[in-house]
Amino acid sequence: MTFLLAAIIVAVTLAVTFWASRRNTSAGDFYVAGGRISASQNGIAIAGDYMSAASFLGITGLIALNGYDGFMYSVGWFIAYLTVLFIVAEPLRNLGKYTLADMLVYRLKDPRVRTYAAVSTIVISTFYMIAQVVGAGSLISLLSRGAISADLAIPLVGVLMIIYVVVGGMLATTWVQIIKAMLLMFATIVMTVLILNRFGWSFSNLLGQVEAKNGAEFLGAGVKYKNPIDLISLCLALVLGTAGLPHILVRFFTVPTAQDARKSVVWAMALIGAFYVMTAFMGNAANALLGKDAIEAANKAGNMAAPLLAENLFGGAGTLGGEFGLAFVTAVAFATILAVVAGLTISASTSFTHDIYNGVLKGGQASEKDQFRVARLATVAVGVAAILLGLAAKTQNVAFLVALAFALAASANLPVILFTLFWRKFNATGAMWGIVGGILFTLLLIAISPNIMKIDPDTLTTGRHLIQANAIFPLENPGLISIPAGFLFAYLGTLIGARRHTPEDDRVFEDMQFRAYTGAGVDGTVAAHD
Amino acid sequence: MTVSSAPPTARNAAYQQLVAQRNAFTLTMTVTFLVLYFLLPVLAGYNKPLMAQKVLGNVTFGYLLAFAEFIMGWVMAYLYVVKARTFDRLAQEARA
Repeated sequence: MTFLLAAIIVAVTLAVTFWASRRNTSAGDFYVAGGRISASQNGIAIAGDYMSAASFLGITGLIALNGYDGFMYSVGWFIAYLTVLFIVAEPLRNLGKYTLADMLVYRLKDPRVRTYAAVSTIVISTFYMIAQVVGAGSLISLLSRGAISADLAIPLVGVLMIIYVVVGGMLATTWVQIIKAMLLMFATIVMTVLILNRFGWSFSNLLGQVEAKNGAEFLGAGVKYKNPIDLISLCLALVLGTAGLPHILVRFFTVPTAQDARKSVVWAMALIGAFYVMTAFMGNAANALLGKDAIEAANKAGNMAAPLLAENLFGGAGTLGGEFGLAFVTAVAFATILAVVAGLTISASTSFTHDIYNGVLKGGQASEKDQFRVARLATVAVGVAAILLGLAAKTQNVAFLVALAFALAASANLPVILFTLFWRKFNATGAMWGIVGGILFTLLLIAISPNIMKIDPDTLTTGRHLIQANAIFPLENPGLISIPAGFLFAYLGTLIGARRHTPEDDRVFEDMQFRAYTGAGVDGTVAAHD
Repeated sequence: MTVSSAPPTARNAAYQQLVAQRNAFTLTMTVTFLVLYFLLPVLAGYNKPLMAQKVLGNVTFGYLLAFAEFIMGWVMAYLYVVKARTFDRLAQEARA
């Protein structure tokens, strides 16, 4: 039944993709659906981009196995949207056309900045994508009870996502996100209602059962995170990282105006918030109804908690209802993975085609037709690279790749975005230092952290750490150090490049600010500035 | 590449007001939400007994604080949307 439901979802999304392909006639359509997506559609699509398998399967599992600590991811990932709403969304829409690099070049007038920003986008998207693809492989093999191995599942997901993006562009990708977000919300709401029904419509009753099973410490903090600094560093990366994630930023270029960008964030916050609140119910109910041992027996990381919970809620193992519940949630998880990977692919291939191919190699002179062709080729290349990297990394621990992407986004992109918008003296040297310094320093900290460096017991055969030695840098997530460092690099670079600051630069800054605050010159003529 | 200078009316009073109001508002909101948000990891790290304290039945202070963070998020987003109407009006005047 799982296969049937998954096949239906794939068939519907492919149909949407071919419908969208007939409406894609220009590069702008491919990159950002011609900027014609409505605010509510875009908001739902942002939610779809954001609620990855890591959120749905991962957090439910984390809460089921670690209690309260798992719920902290939910809070951080939700609150991050306030940063996006207050600071990033509207100015970005007012200044950008297709990519983050557009905004930086609009202000800094230096084509080299375009290259650096594009490389940063591609690096961050790739880390995020490898995590999703590897996760997809192990999840699909797990959910199909071994019928589809990871070696088959990774290419399968990769090929489907290439089809969505190559054929349908941003319009199809957006609709795939919308379908997936609705399915995910529906599944989550149904499960939460069944949970509440089971526990006398009381969260307190639910927690009481969790306590009876695991002891009181499970309701409090500290089961997973023993070191407070580690937790604070993670939370900092979560709350600031979202505002620099390329596949979230690209979504603000798909709507016509800054007001629509704002409305779409609000839509996304309503959906994402409701979803993450429900993870507290799902995680705790999985713990109370299934027990830690059964969840860990199915998958050590807890990734099977949500599907098994659905099986239990719909009637239990062996019943028709139970089988349907399991199949439905599995199919939704599959759709989730496809949609998120498609969203990442389009942000990476847009950056490559628009910024590197057209912006740098062709000096902005490439024809629409050429860009369209290169964008499709780039998508295939990105997709194939993701499949190969995914296969190569399939035995590695993937959770750190996602946290790494957040830390990279917060350390390399966010300082440069903020300085571009608000600091008069900021210059191109500062932007390059900020991006390159932020990326390299974050990668260095990760390389010497317990994510990569750790002494594993000899008995461990898979998922061994790359460097078998004690970690030099103690934190799992480098955010606490790497984010301030990113700001520092951008600041120092600005001082070094400062001699070239002229009255003309002041005028450019004021011009940019006027446009960022008022949206002057944006409506209808987004192409005017380059 | 030349940058068209903004029209003379661009730097009118509405624009000055927009910049001042918007900066003050978003800065206040951002600092407020960051401080309130970081209560959660700081308390979870340094005051575990408080977080585990049962407040409503079996619902702990930690869960209430976490749910309150969600409500804070929605309320602040709503406040921003309301305030943004003023910004939109000023932006329109500034562009005129």
